[in-house]
Amino acid sequence: MGKMSSGTASLIAEDEKRDIYKSNERLKRYIRDKVNQLLTVMGTRPLNTEELDDDTLLDLDPIGIIALSFEQVLEHLKETNKKLRIAKDQLQAVFDTAGVCISIVDPELRIVNCNEKQKELLVSGNKEVIGHYCYEVYCGKDSPTLDCPAIETIETGRPVFIREVKKKGRNFQIVTSPLKDIDGNVIGVIEVSIDVTEKKKAEEGMRQAEKLAAIGLLAAGIAHEINNPLGNILGYAKLLMRESDISVGQREKLEVIVEQAKRGNEIVRGLLDFSRQSRPAFASVSMNEVILKALKSLSNQIDRQGIKLVTNLTKIPMVEGDPKQIEQVVVNLLLNSIQAIEDMTDRTISIETGYTDSGVEVRVIDNGHGIPEEILPRIFDPFFTTKPVGKGVGLGLSICLGIIKDHDGSIHVESEKGKGSKFSFHIPAMSA
Amino acid sequence: MEDIVLDIRGQICPACLLITLREINNSKLQLKRRETRLVVRTDHRDATRTIPGAVFAMGYDVNVVKKGGYYEITLEYKNG
Ligand SMILES: Nc1ncnc2c1ncn2[C@@H]1O[C@H](COP(=O)(O)OP(=O)(O)OP(=O)(O)O)[C@@H](O)[C@H]1O
Ligand SMILES: [Mg+2]
Repeated sequence: MGKMSSGTASLIAEDEKRDIYKSNERLKRYIRDKVNQLLTVMGTRPLNTEELDDDTLLDLDPIGIIALSFEQVLEHLKETNKKLRIAKDQLQAVFDTAGVCISIVDPELRIVNCNEKQKELLVSGNKEVIGHYCYEVYCGKDSPTLDCPAIETIETGRPVFIREVKKKGRNFQIVTSPLKDIDGNVIGVIEVSIDVTEKKKAEEGMRQAEKLAAIGLLAAGIAHEINNPLGNILGYAKLLMRESDISVGQREKLEVIVEQAKRGNEIVRGLLDFSRQSRPAFASVSMNEVILKALKSLSNQIDRQGIKLVTNLTKIPMVEGDPKQIEQVVVNLLLNSIQAIEDMTDRTISIETGYTDSGVEVRVIDNGHGIPEEILPRIFDPFFTTKPVGKGVGLGLSICLGIIKDHDGSIHVESEKGKGSKFSFHIPAMSA
Repeated sequence: MEDIVLDIRGQICPACLLITLREINNSKLQLKRRETRLVVRTDHRDATRTIPGAVFAMGYDVNVVKKGGYYEITLEYKNG
């Protein structure tokens, strides 16, 4: 019995050993599996079973090692995240403060992102733009135009440059560049628009100035040549009028000659003024005094035509300039206003002074016939006039423009046909 | 700056990766402060694939050079 039982006991022990061995094996396999799993997660490949026996593996404490390695992976991730966020913030700031309009659209032309400048210049109101079609939001169209550069970029994968396009009343240069994924597929378009409105205006101003200079030179030459013969005509006509044996009819004809020659003289004087061969005599000038002088020289005309004159001259700093020339500007503007209200029943001209960022401002406002939009761009051109021959030469405003340019100032007009006109000019104030 | 050299050549060392990881853990501070680099010499070709795969995610740059009969893997923490 005892033997039996002892035999049974040892049999149980064998069983137990086998069990323990088995579960050890299970555990080792488990550890190996987990190690391999963890290694795969870390981005590397599993260990080779034949090469690394279980005991060596256990001695190494692989899970402990990998746990610490994971800690480093996490730390690295956190740091990378932080750096990425900083980089993203910086990029966003650059994106938003860029002086150009930037927008990113997907291949279907839906807006993915756009910067502040783009919103400011190309989005009306506070409209939501993300997800909307760019041609709707930026171009105000139902479908893309035929020459849409974004479509060309999507189709060709190449950047496209547009020299000039008008959108929302401003002029833009546009560059569209492809946004590509790692495989080189176009996944969107970056649209960069540069507002060239001011530049264009400046260039036009330059052209205008050049044109004025060229005409000025020509005009001055002609004026000098014409002055002498005109003087002779006038002189001899006056001499003839002194003769006693001319008839009444002849005298009347001579009067016409004298009158027309005088008129010719005036035109020549206008031409010379326009070319302003005389250098401006710069001094410290009180704009209000200049205006009062100009009004005085026109007071007869103003009274005769029953014009209601409103003057509002405020306290303003002095300007540096040529008082005679500035007075001529004021006279020319007033004369235009007087002529514009001639046919009106209610005739009012206001002249005001003020002080703005651009300097001393003078405004001449009338309720005359106004200026049609289509001729507005041409009124400062020399010899542009809508007045009948004998009434206007078309030099008044071009002379004004030239004088004001010489004074580093600017002149503006607001007018609408039938609603009167407002001419305003600025001349920089003298620093105190 | 002196490199830490981990020479596991010659030995049957299929656990190269684990040993390298352990060394990185032990020398973590010096490595991260970029006071040192870890140079692993091994003749196991596999290690030139497994080690870069694992340490890249931890922020290390890996440079593998084949020398005479072994590979030299240099690990350097990159900052920025
Ligand atoms: N205040 C105004 N109201 C309406 N139209 C104006 C006014 N001022 C100027 N204009 C328009 O601009 C044109 C050009 O003016 P500008 O003074 O240069 O020449 P002008 O008056 O025609 O001739 P000039 O001044 O040489 O006698 C005018 O013919 C007129 O059509
Ligand atoms: Mg005029």
